[in-house]
Amino acid sequence: MTRLNLVLLGVLLASALSLVHQQYEARRLFVALERANAASDRLASEHEQLQVQKRTLAAPARVQQLASARLQMRPIHPGITEVLALPTGSGGPAGAEAAGPVQRLQGPVAAPAAPAAPRPALDSPGVRP
Amino acid sequence: MKRAIAYGSSPLLTSATPVWRSRLIVAGFALVFLGLGARAAYVQVFGNEFFQRQGEIRFERTLELPPNRGRVLDRNGLILATSVVAQSVWAIPENIDRQHPQMPELARLLDMPPAELQRRLDRHPTFVWLRRQLDEQRAAQVRALGIEGIHFRKEYRRQYPEGEALAHVVGFTNVEDVGQEGVELAFNAQLSGQAGSRRVLRDRFGRVVEDVREVIPPVDGRDVQLSIDSRIQFFAFQRLREAVQQHRARGGSIVVLDARTGEILALANYPSFNPNQRRNLSGEQVRNRALTDTFEPGSTVKPIVAALALERGLVRPETLIETGDGRLTMGRFTIRDIRALGTVTLNEAMKASSNVAMVKLAQQMQAREMWEAYTRIGFGQRPQLPFPGAASGRLRPYESWRPIEQATMSYGYGLSTSLFQLAQAYTVFARDGKLLPVTLLKSQQPAQGVPVFSPQHAQAVRHMLALSAGPGGTAQRAQTVGFSVGGKTGTSRVQEGTGYAENRHRSFFVGLAPAEQPRVVVAVMIDEPTEGGFFGGVVAAPVFSATVQQTLRVLGVVPDVGVRPHIVADLVQEPG
Repeated sequence: MTRLNLVLLGVLLASALSLVHQQYEARRLFVALERANAASDRLASEHEQLQVQKRTLAAPARVQQLASARLQMRPIHPGITEVLALPTGSGGPAGAEAAGPVQRLQGPVAAPAAPAAPRPALDSPGVRP
Repeated sequence: MKRAIAYGSSPLLTSATPVWRSRLIVAGFALVFLGLGARAAYVQVFGNEFFQRQGEIRFERTLELPPNRGRVLDRNGLILATSVVAQSVWAIPENIDRQHPQMPELARLLDMPPAELQRRLDRHPTFVWLRRQLDEQRAAQVRALGIEGIHFRKEYRRQYPEGEALAHVVGFTNVEDVGQEGVELAFNAQLSGQAGSRRVLRDRFGRVVEDVREVIPPVDGRDVQLSIDSRIQFFAFQRLREAVQQHRARGGSIVVLDARTGEILALANYPSFNPNQRRNLSGEQVRNRALTDTFEPGSTVKPIVAALALERGLVRPETLIETGDGRLTMGRFTIRDIRALGTVTLNEAMKASSNVAMVKLAQQMQAREMWEAYTRIGFGQRPQLPFPGAASGRLRPYESWRPIEQATMSYGYGLSTSLFQLAQAYTVFARDGKLLPVTLLKSQQPAQGVPVFSPQHAQAVRHMLALSAGPGGTAQRAQTVGFSVGGKTGTSRVQEGTGYAENRHRSFFVGLAPAEQPRVVVAVMIDEPTEGGFFGGVVAAPVFSATVQQTLRVLGVVPDVGVRPHIVADLVQEPG
């Protein structure tokens, strides 16, 4: 009888201690969760901030100003634009390559007066100094 | 028998302690425990509510979880307005050392003179705002100064990356994040969302230790996607600004509509303002002229009268109309053309914008017919736009029209519209006689219009509009490279008191492009140009031309007019 009581006492003590420990653990995890949430909020707002910054830097007004001032570019107009039409039935840009040559509708090179000089590909190296 | 307590078996340790003393001690302890028990019972049972409440007051807090305000996006998903975190700085002036060596630095960071800072601190002993919505970087610098009595509160600030080009459409919010103008006001409910809350336990240091009840999460505001294309908007705004500055005008507006879907692709006004820095704003800058200002539309209504005349079978495009020497007298009034045209077809009369020809047509119509036509294309009615302050314009009931008024109304005097209404009215010609409902929100499917004129008559008028923009027409400067255009110029005098000002004009151009299968409708208004002419064909048409050119390119419309190549680059012999 006494032995059983001792065992029960031991179980009780163990349970009490584990309760204390669990509570401590719960608090600790809660604090960690809070911290992680706060960090997530902070990162989200930072992300938003960076997106706005990116957008501000890429705003048409600024791009136009830089393009004309620093790169000496000028607005496109049809006189210097080549218009290509994808062959019909090719099913959008993805199927364009497979469906044969594109049709040139209009453009400077198509005009008879312009010399049919081969143009360098846009991404070929050495075009820009 | 000794009445004493024996503490041990050793006789040396015997003492003569009387029994009553130990009983007294036991009774004393019993009393103390009784007291404790009573107190415990009081705290736990009888006074429980009071103590529970006090505990809550001391350690429980309800935290409000602010929702994120939705973003405003353009049709391609680019951000037009969004909220970013900002810190508002407040102070408890009592706790601040006024002679702190960092005070001038603080004033500099808060962007105010030191004297102003001191004045603010004098306002209230326990609470003053020093600066609302300071950006995070600045706030961190202020924090680093380490001045006691300065506190921070996290808030949200709206950012408008497009700046002044879109200021009137997007509008702005106040410091409390409530919409004040434009889309921010019109869609405030959708953008706002709902705040959530959580009840928490806080420890001695103010740290959150535990949630007391279920967290109610905030419902973030929904994003609003507009039909505006920010590239088109920017071009339109830029051209408008150039024109207003070049002609030293008071202001101007431009509206670009998609003729298929009825979407507003661009809507700009000048002068404008930077929504990110809204100090010292004037009404001139903030007003969305294209929607709120009404004016007499002048010659731009002539195509409507012509369409009505065709519809009623009064004329055909080739019918000859006698305009004589360009004068027509009605009672005390004389209606004049700019130059004498003689006998011309309706096509030619429209091309030269003859007032007399229009009056002759109007004289064959009933006032009710004209009123109905104007009403059906939206004049005198508030546009179906969820926009604050959109004006309805003025169209008086036909019963009160005098003959001279019916005559002037045929060339655009005696009624008023906003530029937006005018642009919408021209969708009738772009869509073969159907008036399109216009929307500020992105939509994919083509809009179903309300039939106003029959398709062949609308096409006939569209042909007249193309002639008007062609060689010899009033709107030659509206022509673009690569695209055919059609449109009508307008120049009206500004009303002054009961009459019209001699030297103050408004110049308009409303048109569509490409002329055969219109994709866009563009309306331009320049208010009181003072330099370099004042006719709509000179002032407003070039803005139309440049805007149409860029808009159609952005929309990927194939040029319908042959283009002479403009490449003037020479072959350069590269060394090496």
